Amino acid sequence: MTTISREEFILKELKLAFNDKILESRIAAPRYIYVTVNKETVIPLVKFLKENFGLRHIVTITGTDFGEYIELIYHLAIYGRTLMVNVKTKVPKDDPEIESIVKLLPGATLYEREVHDLLGVVFTGHPNLERLILPDDWPEGVYPLRKDWKMEGT
Amino acid sequence: MSTYKIPVGPQHPAIKEAFQFNFELDGEIIVNVKPRLGFVHRGIEKGMELRSWVQGIYLSERICGICNVPHTTCYCIAVEKLHDVDVPKRAQYLRIIINELNRIHSHLLWLGVLGMELGFLTFYMYVWRDRERVMDLVELISGNRVTPSMNFIGGVVYDITPKMEMAIKKGMDYLEERTKYYKSVVLNEPTIKVRTENIGVLNKSAATDLCAVGPVARASDLKTDVRFDDPYSSYDEIPFNLVTYSYCDVFARVLVRVDEVLESINIIRECLDKLPSGPIMKKLKRTPPPGESTVRVEAPRGELMYYVKSDGKENPYRVKIRTPTLANIPAVCEMLKGYHIADIPAIIASIDPCYCCTERILFIDKARNKRWIWSHSQLRKYSLEWYENGGRR
Repeated sequence: MTTISREEFILKELKLAFNDKILESRIAAPRYIYVTVNKETVIPLVKFLKENFGLRHIVTITGTDFGEYIELIYHLAIYGRTLMVNVKTKVPKDDPEIESIVKLLPGATLYEREVHDLLGVVFTGHPNLERLILPDDWPEGVYPLRKDWKMEGT
Repeated sequence: MSTYKIPVGPQHPAIKEAFQFNFELDGEIIVNVKPRLGFVHRGIEKGMELRSWVQGIYLSERICGICNVPHTTCYCIAVEKLHDVDVPKRAQYLRIIINELNRIHSHLLWLGVLGMELGFLTFYMYVWRDRERVMDLVELISGNRVTPSMNFIGGVVYDITPKMEMAIKKGMDYLEERTKYYKSVVLNEPTIKVRTENIGVLNKSAATDLCAVGPVARASDLKTDVRFDDPYSSYDEIPFNLVTYSYCDVFARVLVRVDEVLESINIIRECLDKLPSGPIMKKLKRTPPPGESTVRVEAPRGELMYYVKSDGKENPYRVKIRTPTLANIPAVCEMLKGYHIADIPAIIASIDPCYCCTERILFIDKARNKRWIWSHSQLRKYSLEWYENGGRR
């Protein structure tokens, strides 16, 4: 019997459960997995990890502007926070909307608000998507972490 | 029912703990807490995108004045991962030493601040006097007391000579003796106990669900430490204990940090004994190849994460930073519920935010339609007087 690593085991289980919904996957380094899915699959995937791999901890959510779309990475830690599953997904920039994962992971509240504030991604179902970082008099619809926003004098 | 707001020092949420707490009170008791961040958001993540990879090291070092070493360590490891190289063994050990020196200085600074919050000024003076010893050692190694600028992409900048080794070992002996004494003070001194025991309780399941990190999580009996869970920079070769306590209150958070100082002292001794010979730097290209990497390190306040993306150009495409205090804000909001106004300083201090930014506190008494602003020092004064007059006893 050949032994497989924890990383390979998780990828195998994810592929069994989600088949072709996993668009891309790789083991970047020991304890670091990257998985790319459609934005509809994020919620079922988080639910699956929560039920089967004891996911309780979210490290953060990274948003990156790629021009046409905004890439979101959910940095999730499983197995008692020892292994990181980085779930990537894309949301179109003209309609950046995705379902909130706060119901599944309450720790994500502030991270979703941060991404909403700086990149304008709308997390539907979030209990309180208020301003978190930007000042109250900051103009609506201006998102400083997007690439088309330039600092004055640069 | 009345509400009051506390802006606890405006800075980037991921960086200098800039937040405002909007409290909802029932008389003296806190019913609900809402955080608001970003008063002095410096836009460092955007700033990283405008600077070169090497400039990024020094910008990341300036994110936090106290725990600057884990920031550069994390950034450098992330860029080295993009290059797909491991730095020389000696550099990895030197990184551990400088990180642990930083942890000792941060924890002792915090212990002093806690003494001050509790009105125990003698304790604060003594702890800060001994903290100078660590700063002197950092200065001996790097020439700088606070920001050592030790890390570079590919290794470390300064080596430790045998003479420095002696000085560090001597310093560690002194600090061990002093820290053991402070531990006995914490354990036996009623001034500390009465203000910390059973205050700000955060039970284990709440700490897990709210994703608490670092000493806050460990004080709630959660066995989590990035140095164990996800070893970086040869931490897996150094034996040390994971400190946890199950009291879940402010007192446990004090004990976790005091014990961690003792652990750090042993880690430094172990590293000096095992210090491999060889180069301290591997020369790498200034621009890493395209790719992405995620790295976690254990900063004094908990888990710190960097996500770095390169598109092969001379600036990073994206640098995402998540610092431990942001992760602990939901936890501190939970801790505050059900306690008195007078407990606010001790509870907020117990997650170790940067207090230099704490300026003023706005109170709104809804029932009486009255508003007033208290500075942090006024709140502290109120809290001390409240306890002097008997408090809840």
